[in-house]
Amino acid sequence: MLEWYRYHKKMGSASVRRRAVGGILGAATYARAMLFFLLLWHLVSVWIANPVLLPGPLRVMESLFQMVASGELVEHALVSLRRLAVSFVAAGAIGIPLGVAMGMNRPFDDIVDPLVEVLRPISGIAWIPLALFILGVGDALPIFIMFYGALFPFVLNSYAAVRAVPPRYADAARTMGVPRRRIIANVMLPAALPGILVGARLAAGAGWMSMVAAELIGAPSGLGFAVEWYRELLMTSKMLAVVVSIGILGYTIDRVLRAVQHRMAPWSPAVRSEQ
Amino acid sequence: MSRAPALRALIAPLLLILLWQAWASNLPARRHVPTPTKVFAAAYELIATGELPLALGQSLLRVIAGFAVAALIALALGLLMGYFRAVGRNVDPVVESFRPIAPIAFLPLAILWFGTGTPAAVFIVAYAAFFPIIVNTIHGVRSVDASLARAALTMGVPRATILRTVILPGALPQIFTGARLGMGVAWTSIIAAELAVGAKAGSGGSGGIGQMMFVFYAYSVELNSIVVCMISVGLIAPAIDRGLLWLQRRSMPWIEDKR
Repeated sequence: MLEWYRYHKKMGSASVRRRAVGGILGAATYARAMLFFLLLWHLVSVWIANPVLLPGPLRVMESLFQMVASGELVEHALVSLRRLAVSFVAAGAIGIPLGVAMGMNRPFDDIVDPLVEVLRPISGIAWIPLALFILGVGDALPIFIMFYGALFPFVLNSYAAVRAVPPRYADAARTMGVPRRRIIANVMLPAALPGILVGARLAAGAGWMSMVAAELIGAPSGLGFAVEWYRELLMTSKMLAVVVSIGILGYTIDRVLRAVQHRMAPWSPAVRSEQ
Repeated sequence: MSRAPALRALIAPLLLILLWQAWASNLPARRHVPTPTKVFAAAYELIATGELPLALGQSLLRVIAGFAVAALIALALGLLMGYFRAVGRNVDPVVESFRPIAPIAFLPLAILWFGTGTPAAVFIVAYAAFFPIIVNTIHGVRSVDASLARAALTMGVPRATILRTVILPGALPQIFTGARLGMGVAWTSIIAAELAVGAKAGSGGSGGIGQMMFVFYAYSVELNSIVVCMISVGLIAPAIDRGLLWLQRRSMPWIEDKR
């Protein structure tokens, strides 16, 4: 297993270098496009001339720096990130084994799948009122909602990934007398890894999305709470600063998971299509 | 062969309902605890009084309105971004910068701009549905066989006509995938928007299924009715998707959908 890992790592680093060249040109285009957008935003805000309705980008930047400097934003972000981490790990710890088991065991799949299909369309957000009643306003509510949102991407992608593994891999191992436990650990899991990692990215995205809704309604802290708090105070520039940081953090989380994907499964189609 | 899985399919949901009923009826008498039988009664009452259909209808109309706005903008912009590389390169960074921001994060801003009524909810739905549609439109346009467009170009067809008669039909399947994804997030975000509006505006909000759930939570404390709302939310979501899939099969029978 170490062998293929090293091999793919070598293959991966070559493609990373190729990407970096495009990165500089891409950064210039990005900066130009964003500068144009910010200019447009600035002009519109000057035209509206009401900082409560739409503060200009400069004012939002100022609020952003000010809130970072005072540590207030960092505090809210850390609360939200900690909640995301807890719910993400819990969802993965339950979702991946569940999905893998469903993918490998037909009778188990027949029993569990209807339950998944019944619960999945009820979005995590729809659980908020009931969960508020049971868990109350606090830490547990956003964690539960984010866990619920992140669970299904994990289950579905692990399931699909295991199902997509060519049966002859496991068959070949079985003919050679490899025990079932080791087939799962050494054949199925590595082969399903790219799909599982895609699931992880989707799960983190879903969790981050539910975070804002859950904290906005039912938590006394966190970024989602901060957005609504500053609306009530009519401090729109601070509110937008929080919105901007939600976007930056969401993007960063995805980048980090993408880097993990590059490291652990450079051969996966999701990594290749980016190059 | 098909009977055994069908029977197995019933095991888990039935077991869940039985466990739920047993758990709820063994708790010390708390009238709030929802049980399957009470939920059923609540569902009957909510449907009979017309409250539930009304709220669902309101939410659905908002979803459709927001989705229409999103589809219109995303389709036009996506076609241009996909077809003209220069447009794509320059607009893409802005789209990508907004994509990681959760739709609900804009709800407070929407409330500031539009108040707590329908427009704020429609805005959130449109924002949420915009991204899946535009991303898939761009991808669809770029995966259209380039030689088709070139053939038309050599024969002197103007670019605008090519866009309409070659690129758009070629990209349609992918656009439909985007529409289905967009509809999914639209339905999720309408619940979130209405819930949050309900939470922040009190009972004087603007209706819809999300608001109804919040009122049941905060004012009348009817957990059974909340569960009824949750179940109907869960029933509507796949129903919308089936509807779109049906529409796709009807309008584009040449496409093999991969579901």
